[in-house]
Amino acid sequence: MKDYFDRVHRWGVLWDIGALLMLLGIPTSICLYLGVWPELEVLGSVLVRLMVLYWITAVIEVFTYVPMLGAGGTYLSFVTGNITNLKLPAGLAAMENAGVRANTEEGEVISTIAIGVSSITTTVIIAVGVLAFSPLLPYITDEESVFQPAFQWVLPALFGALGASYFAKHWKLVFAPVIVGVIVLIFSPTMGVGTLMFITIIASCGAALLMYKMKLI
Amino acid sequence: MDFKESGFMYAVALVAVAFVLAQSIFFIVKSWKHAKEIGIEKSKLKNTVMSSILFSIAPAISILATVIVLAGALGIVLPWTRLTVIGNLAYETTAAQSAVEAMGGSLSVEITDEQQFTTVAWAMTIGSIAPLILLPFVCKKLQKKIGSAVNKSENAKKLGDIISAAAFIGIISAFIARAIAGTTEDGTGNAGFMSIAVLIVSIVAMLILETLCKKFKLSKLEPFAMPLSMFIGMGSAILFESFLPDYIVNFVWR
Repeated sequence: MKDYFDRVHRWGVLWDIGALLMLLGIPTSICLYLGVWPELEVLGSVLVRLMVLYWITAVIEVFTYVPMLGAGGTYLSFVTGNITNLKLPAGLAAMENAGVRANTEEGEVISTIAIGVSSITTTVIIAVGVLAFSPLLPYITDEESVFQPAFQWVLPALFGALGASYFAKHWKLVFAPVIVGVIVLIFSPTMGVGTLMFITIIASCGAALLMYKMKLI
Repeated sequence: MDFKESGFMYAVALVAVAFVLAQSIFFIVKSWKHAKEIGIEKSKLKNTVMSSILFSIAPAISILATVIVLAGALGIVLPWTRLTVIGNLAYETTAAQSAVEAMGGSLSVEITDEQQFTTVAWAMTIGSIAPLILLPFVCKKLQKKIGSAVNKSENAKKLGDIISAAAFIGIISAFIARAIAGTTEDGTGNAGFMSIAVLIVSIVAMLILETLCKKFKLSKLEPFAMPLSMFIGMGSAILFESFLPDYIVNFVWR
């Protein structure tokens, strides 16, 4: 039997190429249908700016997420998107709950199932929301809505819940990445979380390695 | 009929939705089968499914809210499609905004020009496909390297455990640091009383729930402790906003 990871990578690459073709097919088919194409000059100037920012971030994100999400989880996450606010916490929480580690076969299957289920949940909620509830939704998420603060602060709530037990268990490891993260944000307050995460992970792993060498952990 | 919300556009969106669902189901089925082969208990898998569903509901509603916000200018279908495939809250909004502004428009006004609309559609797509081009080349290599480094010896295994815990903490620290000192470009998520208060409430809720689960042996509740704590954190945001004076709620230091 071929190594399970090898098979996952083969499936992943095939789905990845399929996703790429489908994605490019969307604007292409819209253009063919409408019979108009974008003004290349305008599109070019926008893309130069966007690509400098987002393609560099993409490289950083790939190197940050691949080790944490496992193979299947990575291929799924990068096609379905919303990694930091959804797929990553779903995968990490599942591995934590099940007591398994990333980059083991157990971690691989648990993280992939969690991310797959999260993708389906999100896709269904968005589809149902768009098709059935779009007139109602502004009442829930509008500035004036009583529920609005809950959604505005969903990320601290999510990562507080996710981090709590880890912080309690490995409190010695918490200081370095948080302090480094805060210092970076003081100088670059709007830094995207994908890039910031890359820095805090390096700080965290570096400090952990040092503490391990000094026999502090 | 508005071209942005024509039957054709809905058909395009449904293809994207079907693709994402098919890929997710494919990987779930394959992983489920392999999980059985390597002896992971069914109850563990079921818990994974349930807690992942609960965990995804609230963020999914936030994404839906972005779709609605972008719908003002772009119609509902294009943002829906884009946020279903690769889409990412921050990216899609920025991409759409840059494209619209480059053509002298604004996202607060409905786009009625077909050419402008296609420009936005291309900008949103091309900007976000980089990871898909990169993954086939690096994913396997990267993972093999990490796997072989971590699984070399007992000592390396112990270090591997520490490093993977450290990496996990590194990820969450990025969000903690943002709650302490970050700002957002639109100024709606700046670090201040609310970001810290919600963070602390959900941490405390999780610690309490976990202790209760252990003390009273509530193993059924355990997988739900995390999503439940997230909802408690979100609920606290509503309570703070409703009952605390404005100068506290709006207090930000960034």
